[in-house]
Amino acid sequence: MWLKPGFWYRKSFFQKYGLSEPKSYDEFVQLLEKIKSIQGVKNPIASGDGMGWPLSDIVEHFIIAYGGPQMQLNLISGKTRFTDPSVRRVFENYLVPLLQKKYFSEPIEWTTVIPKWWAGEYGLYFMGTWITGMVEDPNDLDFFPLPESKGVVGGADYAFVPKYSKNVDAAVDFLKFLATEGQGVHASVPSGKIPTWTKVPVSQLWKPMQSVYTKITQRGMAILPDLDDSIGGDWQKLFWDQLKLLWVNPGALDSVLKTLESAQPKP
Amino acid sequence: MKNLNKESKIDLLLFLLPPLVVLSIFVIYPIIGTVVLSFISKGTFSLSNYYEVLTESIPLKALILTRLEPTPPWGALIHNAVWILISVPAVVLLGMILAYVLRYVFGSSFVLGTVFLGMVLPGVVSGLVIRFMFDDSIGIFPRIFAVLGVPMLSKTWTIYPQTALLALILGSIWLWLGFSVTLYSAGLDSIPSSMIESALVDGASQWQIFAKIIVPQLRPVTTVVILMTVMWVLKIFDIVYVVTGGGPGGSSTVLAMIMYMYFASSLEYHKAAAVAVILALLTLIPAYWYIRIVLKGERE
Repeated sequence: MWLKPGFWYRKSFFQKYGLSEPKSYDEFVQLLEKIKSIQGVKNPIASGDGMGWPLSDIVEHFIIAYGGPQMQLNLISGKTRFTDPSVRRVFENYLVPLLQKKYFSEPIEWTTVIPKWWAGEYGLYFMGTWITGMVEDPNDLDFFPLPESKGVVGGADYAFVPKYSKNVDAAVDFLKFLATEGQGVHASVPSGKIPTWTKVPVSQLWKPMQSVYTKITQRGMAILPDLDDSIGGDWQKLFWDQLKLLWVNPGALDSVLKTLESAQPKP
Repeated sequence: MKNLNKESKIDLLLFLLPPLVVLSIFVIYPIIGTVVLSFISKGTFSLSNYYEVLTESIPLKALILTRLEPTPPWGALIHNAVWILISVPAVVLLGMILAYVLRYVFGSSFVLGTVFLGMVLPGVVSGLVIRFMFDDSIGIFPRIFAVLGVPMLSKTWTIYPQTALLALILGSIWLWLGFSVTLYSAGLDSIPSSMIESALVDGASQWQIFAKIIVPQLRPVTTVVILMTVMWVLKIFDIVYVVTGGGPGGSSTVLAMIMYMYFASSLEYHKAAAVAVILALLTLIPAYWYIRIVLKGERE
């Protein structure tokens, strides 16, 4: 299973500047302010941009942290609308102030920003666990979720056996292995994955992922579905596009939420 | 046909049959199919697909947005119109001037090669080059405006709704300039040198030669450049898809992008067909004039 667990940082960067993981939103803002004051840092947080999806992951993390895991699920089902005051509060009170203060960078292509972040142009980077395989020294990596967060987005891999395969039984047996002991093998190599089969000992995991697994399980965080992946279709593209607009124009919050709500699937 | 004997008529039909069959299957049938599809909604024949695509207000799918704002998004139809209004004069003027000036300048082949590069690059690669051109850390445009002290234009153009469309338009001018320069160079070669020599003997300045002889003599080429540029801009898709995806906030959508959104994203094939028909009709206007000019030229 991959996770989108929070803000990644270089341990050496934090050590060098005497920084520590925040324990509240206020401490998070203080951390951003400290990073901003470091010479050579362009913005405290690098904002990855693909077709827009890395921004949606950041937004979902804020929704889960300050609206709660249920808000994420209700937004997916359409029970909660994007124009709901509770959703607006998450944006208005927690995310938009950070955008207005330029704590987030402008959206930058998500792979090209990695070396810049690694070189210290940015302090933090929100990304999925696959980031562990994309940096020079994964052992120098660590992360923290937003302190109030009680859940993270994660996704499991699926496998299908075609009904008309010649060796259906053998294929199913192999998949059973992959879903159990095989996960231990998969997670022990640099795959950026954690096992969903709980019998895999933590010590068997690839070292950089041990920290991820431990932090998530110690906090008892819920694993939640990805909001835009779950809704998909046109709305997903609209979500990405509107967030790109919000990133460069936080004042457009109401228009963004209204646009998202107008196309949001009904329950 | 009347003068042909029976055997020749059969030969003619045999020659025509293969291309007619291919054209019928791969061109005529899809065109008719698309037009029919665009009028079908919920199993009945109606104009509702056209009504719905023309009144759609979601920024990434809107053809016309009714709210009047000083900056995009305005809707794909308006974006295409703005694109034409900016790129056509630019392609004509720059193409003509470059073709004329580069004839007399040392190292012109390098400049021409750079200009022509846009024509030969695949659309996706061109899109990436445009992204780089307008990126604040490596792009030439933001750097120039940073030196000039214009903060709004020293950022990454493609991520701001105010500048994304303009970045695409300027990028497309570079891409299409090679075509324009090539046509104007050929047009200049066809102007009799005696005409220019006579003007020089009469004491005409370089500017007078350019304005009074070159420009009027190049009028047929200019017409072709204008019509081809309009058709090209109406059909533009690849660089928009690569550079901005129509965003941010739908500020750089174009007709072909909207058609793609309906077709490949929301799987609304009838609406995609309606947009395709609108796009085809708009493209037919310059195409009609272009064909008229070509036929007129052949007759002469």
